[in-house]
Amino acid sequence: MIDCDHITGCITCGDRAEPLTVLRVDEARGLALCANAEGLKETVEIELVAPVAPGDTLLVHAGTAIA
Amino acid sequence: MKYVDEFRDPELGRALAAEILTDVEPGRHYKLMEVCGGHTHSIYKYGIDDLLPENVELVHGPGCPVCVLPMGRVDDGIAIAHQPGVIFTCFGDMLRIPGSDGTLLDAKAEGADVRMVYSPLDALRIAKQNPDRNVVFFAIGFETTAPSTALTLMRAKAEGVPNFFCMCNHVTIVPPLRSLLDSPDLRLDGFIGPGHVSTVVGARPFEFIPAEYEKPIVVAGFEPLDVLQAVHMILRQLAEGRCEVENQYKRVVPYEGNLRALQVLGEVFELRPHFEWRGMGFISQSGLKLSEAYADFDAELRYSVPGVRVADPKACQCGEVLKGVIKPFECKVFGSACTPERPIGTCMVSSEGACAAYYNYGRFAREREVV
Repeated sequence: MIDCDHITGCITCGDRAEPLTVLRVDEARGLALCANAEGLKETVEIELVAPVAPGDTLLVHAGTAIA
Repeated sequence: MKYVDEFRDPELGRALAAEILTDVEPGRHYKLMEVCGGHTHSIYKYGIDDLLPENVELVHGPGCPVCVLPMGRVDDGIAIAHQPGVIFTCFGDMLRIPGSDGTLLDAKAEGADVRMVYSPLDALRIAKQNPDRNVVFFAIGFETTAPSTALTLMRAKAEGVPNFFCMCNHVTIVPPLRSLLDSPDLRLDGFIGPGHVSTVVGARPFEFIPAEYEKPIVVAGFEPLDVLQAVHMILRQLAEGRCEVENQYKRVVPYEGNLRALQVLGEVFELRPHFEWRGMGFISQSGLKLSEAYADFDAELRYSVPGVRVADPKACQCGEVLKGVIKPFECKVFGSACTPERPIGTCMVSSEGACAAYYNYGRFAREREVV
């Protein structure tokens, strides 16, 4: 997950996004559990990029996969 | 890491920098604007401008949504945060943006329930966990972030969450670019286009830049090689007398954008007739508000807000920085009265703000090493 401070970066800002790997998909709720390279996990909205499968890499911005 | 490491290869970077040297015409000064705050951050983090020829200047654009937010909107947010029973949620960078009388962090210290969230979904979760409180999400961001807010509102509506509200400050990228291009005090040769905004809107909305203003624009990614390659592509267009929209970030950006995201935006939001931008004044059809179908979730309809236009602090030159007219170090208060710890202007708060990027990566001086 992107840190939110004035040195490492922030979520909103502008245009920051992070590549995350899909671990598990909850199709009923349209969400996926993803992890970044360090293993930090995050629940991600996948409506804009569905269908996705475990192992896919998603570009995630503010909790939503945009690509 | 896949999609990252290969775009940080120093050898390739040096090779690209050497190619860029062959693109430039001696004696000609090139002024390129990186529209997006993410690019500003990358440029100073990786020292990209030091790799460029001396006559290629990168200027910073209005693409940090936190930086362009006027003080009056911050005051409105703080007023809502102080309403009884409200849990006010926002992204972390918003907490430190100064309003006319303090920040959201100050409001929190005074007793308002202000909480930082990483995504609008987190705010919705807080609403569901606190059914007896009203949870307001302070939505901010360009087209990259707006779909996230929109999807959360759709989810709130579908699940019938009556205590979730949104104060919408989303903005769109094309109107301020047009305003900059119409501005007489700025001569630009080309643009590095915003990569992740384009993931949503595509590259097509930027076609007016070459068509009407005869300037090249290259939509670019955020790794150092992405930015260098974008500069190379813009300079190549200029050298060959071309001006068009090119997409350097094809691994992520489809030319037509994400159609589902655009559909979602169209359903949940509508354009405001005008919206105020810090340092740039009111720009027509540049801001989003909730559509009629989502009016029940609109915090501005639920709560009365002051809605007062507040002038920027006199010492602050954020407006000129945001338009690329001056560099951060040329501001009177840069690094002295205004620092990331005690910011006066917005550009010093967010990591993507040009001033904070300069300050955090030690760019205090005007001198540049000649390549």
